[in-house]
Amino acid sequence: MADKKHHPLIPELKAQMERGGLSRRDFLRYATLLGLSATAAGRMAGLVSPREVWAGSIRRGGVLKVSSQVHKVTHPAQFSWIAPANQLRHVAEYLTLTDSDNITHPYLLEKWEASEDLKTWTLHLRKGVTFNNGDPFTADDVVFTLDQWLNKDVASSMLGLLSGYLDPTGIEKVNDHQVRLHLKRPEIAVPEHLFHYPALVLNHRTFEGDFIKNPHGTGPYTLVEYREGERCVLKARSDYWQKGADGKPLPYLDGMEFIDMGGEMAPHIAAIKTGEVDVIDPGDMGGTDIFLALKDDPNITVLPVTTGQVRVLRMRVDIKPWTDNRVRQALKLCQNREKILALAYHNQGLLGQDFHVYPKHPEYCEKPIPKYDPDKARELLKQAGYPNGLDVNLAVGSDWSDVVRYAEILKEDAAPAGFRIHIQTMPASQYWEKWTEVDLGITPWTHRPLGTMVLNLGYVADDEGKPVPWNETRWVDKEFCDLVAKASGILDVEERRKVFCVLEEIMMERGPVGISYWRNVWTSARKWVHNLKAHPTNYLLTHEVWLSKRTS
Amino acid sequence: MLQVAEGTSQGKTSRRTGRRLFLGIRRTFSLIFASRTATVGFFIVAFWVSAAVFAPLLTPYSPTYQDWKAPNQGPSAAHPLGTDELGRDLWARLLYGARIVLVVLPVSQDLWLPGGTALWGVAASLALGAFLGLVSGYKGGWIDEVVMRLLDAMMAVPVILLYLIFVAAMGASAVNVVLAIAIVGTPGIARLVRGLTLDIRTRDYVRAAETRGESPWYVMFVEILPNAKGPIIIDAMLRVGYAIFAMGTLGFLGLGLPPPSPDWGSMVAKGREFILAGSPWAALWPSVAIASLVVGLNLLADGLREEAMRYQ
Repeated sequence: MADKKHHPLIPELKAQMERGGLSRRDFLRYATLLGLSATAAGRMAGLVSPREVWAGSIRRGGVLKVSSQVHKVTHPAQFSWIAPANQLRHVAEYLTLTDSDNITHPYLLEKWEASEDLKTWTLHLRKGVTFNNGDPFTADDVVFTLDQWLNKDVASSMLGLLSGYLDPTGIEKVNDHQVRLHLKRPEIAVPEHLFHYPALVLNHRTFEGDFIKNPHGTGPYTLVEYREGERCVLKARSDYWQKGADGKPLPYLDGMEFIDMGGEMAPHIAAIKTGEVDVIDPGDMGGTDIFLALKDDPNITVLPVTTGQVRVLRMRVDIKPWTDNRVRQALKLCQNREKILALAYHNQGLLGQDFHVYPKHPEYCEKPIPKYDPDKARELLKQAGYPNGLDVNLAVGSDWSDVVRYAEILKEDAAPAGFRIHIQTMPASQYWEKWTEVDLGITPWTHRPLGTMVLNLGYVADDEGKPVPWNETRWVDKEFCDLVAKASGILDVEERRKVFCVLEEIMMERGPVGISYWRNVWTSARKWVHNLKAHPTNYLLTHEVWLSKRTS
Repeated sequence: MLQVAEGTSQGKTSRRTGRRLFLGIRRTFSLIFASRTATVGFFIVAFWVSAAVFAPLLTPYSPTYQDWKAPNQGPSAAHPLGTDELGRDLWARLLYGARIVLVVLPVSQDLWLPGGTALWGVAASLALGAFLGLVSGYKGGWIDEVVMRLLDAMMAVPVILLYLIFVAAMGASAVNVVLAIAIVGTPGIARLVRGLTLDIRTRDYVRAAETRGESPWYVMFVEILPNAKGPIIIDAMLRVGYAIFAMGTLGFLGLGLPPPSPDWGSMVAKGREFILAGSPWAALWPSVAIASLVVGLNLLADGLREEAMRYQ
């Protein structure tokens, strides 16, 4: 177990930062992951908290109106949309918080401690926190919630995230304010998993399967009204555990109102332009239309954030012709990345290099951007036995406009190499029914804060050597799998980066995917909304938001 | 001598057929030009048909050529209607889009049949609907009951939903769009033809044919159908308009012809993303094209119907 004061690796991380081997941001990320408070980590990194700057100008009151979608919800662990999480995260809360800079902080936890082997995690619960029905927040609530996530009958997506390293038997209640997790294997991303959007902490005394019936959480608001397809109305509580910069309990707002404006972006954009709403919750929608429509509006702030959201050109390596790495390489060479980013996503993102690690992942190892080379691609196809080129079908979801544009550009640019691509469009729902089955397709992958998280999800084999469920390409490379497992147990970023340099190289040389660009996302708000930040996973974090214009 | 006589008689027959055709065309045109409505409709439709036929001569661009340095441009000398989100020339896409609607049916990458997608769809629904309507109306009895109730059941389902069901089930391609248009259009045509058949089968010349001992198929296809052709042709013209709408709707919903085909509906769907961003062109022109062609066909059909009724 760790030193009582700090995890033994923290001084080493600090030394790495001082040597220049680790950025301040990465130091903050890893120090907080190892249980150091964000304030202490910030001080160690030589940063000052900006909150005092705000205290004088903050104004309390007003109702924040948000355009959103209001889905049918029952059990928070079953959320499969970001939108309900963005509404109900104001009523119930998470144990941790990964902020807009990808740094994870304790939240309903006071702190956590990880053992040196990263297999035992002790969660220290914040004391003095109460649910909005007056019940105290205790270890029983955490154990109950964890059990719900790991219960197969609940069928939460948390099960897929945690079951690889945690069984229900590995959860130990130490006392009323301490829970210990005994993991099956080392895992560094536990605190980040606790902030996954379905991971709201439930009240074990009152929760009976439907949160809307008993909306008891520890959050700063109470649920006044929840009407599917219409609205979700929240009212501030006066006894919330967090204090604002003015010393009084948060939130600064009197309430929030989420108005369902459907799945098309146009009504949301029109509503914020006219001031009918203060904020657009991009939630599960998002796209360049928000950015393009609002970027020049003087009354609206469009807040961008670079993310690990990506459109993955994936090839099933167990189906011909993609079994042949030369064919895969040839198609990858047909990506004119600058053109794809410019036209498919209006230059709003970062260029990719055919491995699923993005430049803001801490373990990212810099690699050159591959050039568009149809001549080399044609030569490779010839070597692979396709001197006259070949016909391939490319499956894409028609709801994702940038994916369709990506496919159209690829079709045009791959033609000189000999690929005759037939684009097969289908509604996104239909694509999701067969996303792991199609031989060639473009799959949207969401942002994940650590490179190891995504590689473990989509590019490795299970204990029996079979591809893991989300390994949509069926690509199983022994050396790659071993290196991913090795990297998952290395805390030292520089050491991990060394492994990632090899991992990235392997993916570029013989991997199953083409990655042309990483997407930005945007949160947009009227200028009178203060203290709102864009989050890479489109989470709406408004606890410290205040309005300079009073609205009712 | 005999050969000369045969040749002379063949020559006479072909001259007679040619003259009949010429007279038919002249009569149709005089009908069209007798009505102002039909004339306007005719010129609109003629514009789109000639644009589609001569598309390669009317633009130097390919409809799929991407100028990636010039996306979402307004009209200019280089691009008379502007460019879309991938820098493709909108005039070229509009012209080649009209080809798919009116002139060619892209069965596969290499096989293109003459006759537009909308026309093939309407022709197929005409064939199927006319057959069912004739049999149902002429035979009557339980055949009529069964066929009509089945078609009623189909008509009870909203048209858009039917299109969506068929295309979503079969996949998006030109042939499947034709099939969807054919299946969805069949009940309406069958009802029309059945009504006409019920009326015509009581006529004396039908009775005469039956008395002569002609087979039911002969009576249906040689005696009844040609005498019902007027209303059927006018209905078909309207149906081409519906079919263009259907193509637009399916394309708009992402179930039309697969990209990068210059399908008008999908051009609107893609272009509308940029309306609020200040580039309305990519959505505007295909919308205008769909509207003008459908209105043109409707005007033509309405004018012809009115004129034909007046003539009768």
